[in-house]
Amino acid sequence: MDRKQPNDSTMFKAVKKALTTFSLFLFPFSFLVAQEDADFMRSMGKMYVVVAVIAAIFIGIVIFLVYLDRKLTKLENQINNHQNG
Amino acid sequence: MKKHWWKVLGVLLVLYSFAMGLLTPLKTGILDAQPASVRAGKSVTLLVTGYNSFYTKNPKEIRAWLKMDNERAMAAKNVEVVGDRDLKAIFDLPQFLPVDKKVQDFTLILDSPTDGASVLPSGVFVTQDSIDKTAGEALWQNANISGLHEKAAITFPFRNILGETIRNTYYHVPLWFAMFILFIAATVTSIKYLRKMDPNDDAKAAALTTVGILYGVLGLVTGAIWAKNTWGAYWSFDVKQNMTAVGLLIYCAYFVLRASFEDPEKRARISAVYNIFAFSTLIPLLYVIPKLTDSLHPGAGGNIAFGSQDLDNTMRMVFYPAIIGWTLMGVWMAHLVFRAGRLKRLLLEG
Repeated sequence: MDRKQPNDSTMFKAVKKALTTFSLFLFPFSFLVAQEDADFMRSMGKMYVVVAVIAAIFIGIVIFLVYLDRKLTKLENQINNHQNG
Repeated sequence: MKKHWWKVLGVLLVLYSFAMGLLTPLKTGILDAQPASVRAGKSVTLLVTGYNSFYTKNPKEIRAWLKMDNERAMAAKNVEVVGDRDLKAIFDLPQFLPVDKKVQDFTLILDSPTDGASVLPSGVFVTQDSIDKTAGEALWQNANISGLHEKAAITFPFRNILGETIRNTYYHVPLWFAMFILFIAATVTSIKYLRKMDPNDDAKAAALTTVGILYGVLGLVTGAIWAKNTWGAYWSFDVKQNMTAVGLLIYCAYFVLRASFEDPEKRARISAVYNIFAFSTLIPLLYVIPKLTDSLHPGAGGNIAFGSQDLDNTMRMVFYPAIIGWTLMGVWMAHLVFRAGRLKRLLLEG
């Protein structure tokens, strides 16, 4: 019972990490599911297909930014530990 | 700022491709003609639905033809404009057609001074009760399709299955071109590493490959969305789809390989060699095998890519800047990854 606190926080972190990764992978797919409505996607001369493609590229670049952000956060943490330790 | 001009240029070119690619209208097209199947020997009224058309602007001057082949076409007896997007074309079909087939497909062609010429390939199928080629030739009243108009505006071509998705040429295709350029750059830096053994070159190659894979995955996703609404399925097991997936997996293995070495020098040397190998498999996978078999993609299986059918001069004005723009953006992204990696190495050394 004494170790409940740290266990919870590590679990929270792990769950948070898993959820973030999961949602990142899910994001493009939610989009593919959303366009199951073929009538909508093919209305207006299939213009929404172009919208979906541009949105997919945007999401991809956002995922890249998140990846880079995490990489830099890790580095910052290392630098901080380096200075403190 | 002077040092960053290429980043600004990349962003501007991509922005330009978005603006031009989305704002330029399509040429006038024909969405549909009903009935699609008619019998010979009757007078038939085709209800034509246009796309981006302005039939009411000069209803008297609109002409229509049913084209059988390059030599033979018949003119419409009368064209009645119903609305901007609807008109009726009346054809008197002869009893016999000058062909040996029971069913013959005709291409519907419309011409209007404001909209220019528009085409519905194989839009009307004519069935004849009995075949009599000589009678058909005697009955045939040939019309010359001449004096076709050009729409006086900057437009993209209208293709029936593609519709507005022809614009994806500026968003899906440049990703692949940019990916290929990034992979070339990565291979060149890998070769440079093997010659000079500078760890920066290895890091550059890895960064360029990262962004190349990002572009490749985005190319697959955007291609799947496009394919779903034009070819009918996200993944049709088209040879080019399969081969690019294989190529990307080979490149993903590059990072698995990198992660499996502790010694940075060994990792750099072996992954440089692997990178050259990966690139040398990419060329046959992307550019040779798809050309040898049938493919849905243009530029494969006998289709000629970048002929006037796929890319006209207006499209080139958006397509090529988009390639340069996405490549520069990719180099920028790779540069950020490289700098983060270099900081990490400096930290480990210091």
